[in-house]
Amino acid sequence: MPSDTRILSVKGLNVEIPVPGAILRPVRGVSFDVGRGETVAVVGESGCGKSLTALAIMGLLPRQAKVRSEALHLNDESLEAASAKRWRQLRGDRIAMIFQDPMTALDPCYRIGDQMCEILLQHCKMSKSDAIVRSIDLLAKVGIPAPTERLKQYPHQLSGGLRQRVMIAMALLCEPELIIADEPTTALDVTIQAQILRLLRDIQRETNIGLLLITHDLGVVAGMADRIVVMYGGEVVEVGTCDQVLAKPLHPYTEGLVRSIPVPGETQQGETLGYIPGVVPKQVGELVACGFVERCPYAREACRAGAVSLRDAADGRLMRCILPVDGSGRDPAVWFLPEGEDTESTTKNGSI
Amino acid sequence: MAEVLSMRGVTRDYSVGGSFAKKQTLRALRGIDLGVEKGRTLGLVGESGCGKSTLARILLGVETPSAGEVLVGGKPIESYDRIERARLIQPVFQDPYSSLNPRMTVEAIIAAPMRVRGERGRSLQTKVRELAGEVGLPRHLVEAYPSQLSGGQRQRVAIARALIGEPEILICDEPTSALDVSVQSQILNLLHNLKSQLDLTMILISHNLAVVHHLADEVAVMYLGQIVERGPSREIFEKASHPYSEALLKAVLPPRAGARLPEKALEAEFPSPVNPPSGCTFHPRCPKAQALCAQQMPEKSGTEHIYRCHFPNN
Repeated sequence: MPSDTRILSVKGLNVEIPVPGAILRPVRGVSFDVGRGETVAVVGESGCGKSLTALAIMGLLPRQAKVRSEALHLNDESLEAASAKRWRQLRGDRIAMIFQDPMTALDPCYRIGDQMCEILLQHCKMSKSDAIVRSIDLLAKVGIPAPTERLKQYPHQLSGGLRQRVMIAMALLCEPELIIADEPTTALDVTIQAQILRLLRDIQRETNIGLLLITHDLGVVAGMADRIVVMYGGEVVEVGTCDQVLAKPLHPYTEGLVRSIPVPGETQQGETLGYIPGVVPKQVGELVACGFVERCPYAREACRAGAVSLRDAADGRLMRCILPVDGSGRDPAVWFLPEGEDTESTTKNGSI
Repeated sequence: MAEVLSMRGVTRDYSVGGSFAKKQTLRALRGIDLGVEKGRTLGLVGESGCGKSTLARILLGVETPSAGEVLVGGKPIESYDRIERARLIQPVFQDPYSSLNPRMTVEAIIAAPMRVRGERGRSLQTKVRELAGEVGLPRHLVEAYPSQLSGGQRQRVAIARALIGEPEILICDEPTSALDVSVQSQILNLLHNLKSQLDLTMILISHNLAVVHHLADEVAVMYLGQIVERGPSREIFEKASHPYSEALLKAVLPPRAGARLPEKALEAEFPSPVNPPSGCTFHPRCPKAQALCAQQMPEKSGTEHIYRCHFPNN
């Protein structure tokens, strides 16, 4: 991607959390960029480090968590060096975040209008009356009927879909360059999910905002993303355009995910679905083998020889696997083998 | 074939409000007619608030209908006492983190329904271990506590507990929505195998249409306490008659390259069940609504494949 359109650039991001007797490393050397007007999806299952990555970029991790990175840039400004004061200026102004559950993200004690105006008074130094006008404008823009009345209501008076629209309106108040949306539709019904995703997409096209979408739902990704960053065990295991990754996943983990999802009209009723055996390992210590080796049906001796690095695959894609990229040596039947006695054995440590 | 489970005109009202707000009636279910044949799986779908969980609670006997009757094996559900009812109908709940007692071992959890019936001793222990193996729990985990288990393993324990008493009917309320997709597929495979092995009758409640498509033989679509369409799974997924079923199907996002967001999503939000819209309750959101829809509730049409709509898709 040409550097002039790049909004966010993350390079070698690490998060370390000290716990009694060990240091957890839930995010290890994560790198990716988000361009202007681009949607990048970070996907992975629970515990893969995707939400921590988002919080680290927002500078929202608790103090005991150590964030190290080779580079963490918003436009050309380095975020690692930013002071607490500078962070407060950036958050909500240049970078905005939409959280999963709008009920816990909105303050139940304040009216919608107060919560929205506060952002404008803080960041844009607007007068109260201008702030109200702008808030009404944005509520209307995100498709909330009767916005003037909504301003006077409390969060509990709104439905889940409306609350998430309010969250989106709040994120847009200061015209940010980057929006981080962490599972923005997971708490919503499928019909409302489609509405909210369309709204996000339309607004992004109109304003050319960079969107970092954190989700576990590959269906959402397929509908929204330009590029996909697949995370597993705190590491990036595959990067590519949305269509590339979904049509021909290179990393066995991505392949397992794609094969495990039933799709009406494609998979037949009762057809055996693929699955990934085992559980996500704990992120302790340095990796001395491929992080996925314990769950990978293609695993071989060479996979245990040392940590695997992210390498260039065909068509500008990246993957963290030693298997050939042309798919040779892979028999998809391995994903459908009957479950053995210890397929889902107890948690293993990341340090093997 | 005989219906193991049938509901006739089941209605459930709740009284909401009081103290500060005005007292109002919330009609969670309005005249549900439903029947499930032995060995079949019925998928219940609809948005949150449509009454699918109330329906499950009535089937489990923890809630009684305000009107109408529920027949299990041809007899009214009230004619069974609690233990008999539990022998016939067992639930699997959504969240295996809260549905297992954290202070009991896996073995004790699975054995609990049998102990209630007075079974004890070695034969019970053997039975528990056999069943644990059948649902795919590693042998060494039988003595573990729920906190030592992953989400998928916990759901297997919940399934084993439901199955130990050899129930006729299994009621699964969102059995996989708390699980990761790679684990969800394992539980779906397991449920499908158990269903064919044990000839189980299953009610599968889910908002995930892909899950329903995968397991259900028949599908009932609920909207605001009513079944708006019901028929063989294949027919509903291939040619839904009711515009609401169609909208739900269109909202499914397949994880495939080139898939795009649905161009026309269902507008507006789910109405309040306290004061539902007039006529067909779906008309304010319906793309095909006409004047008639606001005035008159459509009657049921069809026999095998039933729908409630004045202007069905054909």
